[in-house]
Amino acid sequence: MYHLGQYDPGRSLVHRLDPRIKILFTILLSVLILQTGMRTGIFFTLFLGSVFFVSGIAFGRLWQALKPALLFFAFLFLLHLFFTPGRPLLPWFSGAFAPTREGLLLGALTTLRFILLIVCAALLTGTTLPMDLVHGLERLLRPFNYIGLPSHDIALMISLALRFIPTFMLELQKIKEAQISRGLDFGSGSIFKRLQKTAYLLTPLLLNAFRGADELADAMESRGYQRGSRTYLRELCFSRRDLAVAGLMVVMTWGFIFRLQILKFFKLN
Amino acid sequence: MIKIKNLTYHYDLNQTPVIAELSLEIKTNEYVALVGPNGSGKTTLIRHLNGLLLPNKGDIWIDDLNTKEPALLPQIRQKVGMVFQNPDHQIVGTTVEEDVAFGPGNLNLSPSEIRQRVDQALEQVGLSRHLKSASHALSGGEKQLLALAGVLAMQPSYVAFDEPTSHLDPLARKNILQVLMDLNGRGMTIIHVTHNMDEIIQAGRILVMDQGKLILDGTPAAVFSHMEWLQKIGLDVPKINALVLHLRRMGLELRADILDLDEACRELYRLIKPDHSNEVQISKV
Repeated sequence: MYHLGQYDPGRSLVHRLDPRIKILFTILLSVLILQTGMRTGIFFTLFLGSVFFVSGIAFGRLWQALKPALLFFAFLFLLHLFFTPGRPLLPWFSGAFAPTREGLLLGALTTLRFILLIVCAALLTGTTLPMDLVHGLERLLRPFNYIGLPSHDIALMISLALRFIPTFMLELQKIKEAQISRGLDFGSGSIFKRLQKTAYLLTPLLLNAFRGADELADAMESRGYQRGSRTYLRELCFSRRDLAVAGLMVVMTWGFIFRLQILKFFKLN
Repeated sequence: MIKIKNLTYHYDLNQTPVIAELSLEIKTNEYVALVGPNGSGKTTLIRHLNGLLLPNKGDIWIDDLNTKEPALLPQIRQKVGMVFQNPDHQIVGTTVEEDVAFGPGNLNLSPSEIRQRVDQALEQVGLSRHLKSASHALSGGEKQLLALAGVLAMQPSYVAFDEPTSHLDPLARKNILQVLMDLNGRGMTIIHVTHNMDEIIQAGRILVMDQGKLILDGTPAAVFSHMEWLQKIGLDVPKINALVLHLRRMGLELRADILDLDEACRELYRLIKPDHSNEVQISKV
């Protein structure tokens, strides 16, 4: 059904890292990747490739995560190719919308950035249980409790959303079947008509969800839920491996900021 | 002990009360079935037991804790667990163990204590093998057992069930009823709301509600003997009890406290037992 971000059980080094460090690393990598040039881009590709290899996630899963975005990548690439001013790529084809060398490079770079971002996200969610992810996020947000950000509530909201995705999918399927059996045809008509028909699916789904939310609130209150502190089944523990990864993060940030000096040092630039 | 005194509750103050001047005591380790037609106020009543609703008039004490004291609510909710109708709407966790851990987590217990309670609760309802399963992948009956385990992990003294079997198939229903019996056998006080009369012969005490009032309160046999009353408010006496009642009225000397099919068979057999000479002759032929 939904492959992007599905957890892939395993016992690899990446799986066993503390979710907090994984979240932070993902954020750091995302920022760096968005700033990356061609050379560092190759470094990040190699780096993420090896992390992916260590994690033991099947390559097919990555493909499933990337496949839905292919059209977007193509669009992004072509947009850059044709709309970047510069030297024409094809001598006989010039003008305002001609493909350019600069466009080719920029398009490739931008596409690479997005692919790397998706790989990053897929690595995070593929090696971390949703509950651990939520738990890690909660722990990371805890310092913000002091400025009035309720980290426990945010964590609960996310985990409830995760919990109810499959339930709503099932319910949607049931509603769809019920509507089809009453003669509604979802497969035909213009796009506008089809959009109109989704209202027949979403209205009952929303109504059910609201009714369910009332009951859920009662059930949660009955089980002693109240705002404020609570404890969890699994406590996160920060191990030596996590410390090593934190060290790596510092080195990477430092390296990225001073990459020009480093390149100069090795006389590469 | 649960003590309810002069409970009156309106959803809307201008309308007639859903519950009117109701007083009731439920002793520790009782198995109480609460029956009544739709709109009789039974669900409203049990929602008062853990402070989800607060009385407009009157008081409710759970082991001497008044539900009107906001500071006592966490304690009261630990003591009185509640299992609702639709299992899908009361499961909070994505996995079975995370869901059971929700209640103990709210009690701020340590991870090791939570782990122990989760294992114990799942053992009690027979879901141990599903510890790591995704909660949405369970069957309807298993989901309801999971909801129950989530309540048991808080180690309550009382558990109120609001039509726990209405979404289940017959086999899952039988299983849940057996679990209720077992819990009651281990000292748990059970309050079981239902409108399925076949389910309540296992209760020690039956309360019948109609239009916000308690109209009958007694053992199953005593309550079923008011068959006409029950039928008038739209409740059906289980077939076997109706049969026994009819036969008694027609003059057959049956015991009044017969509740289930087995007992009825034995009693009827005793009355119309063929004499032994016949039996021997039949076996000769």
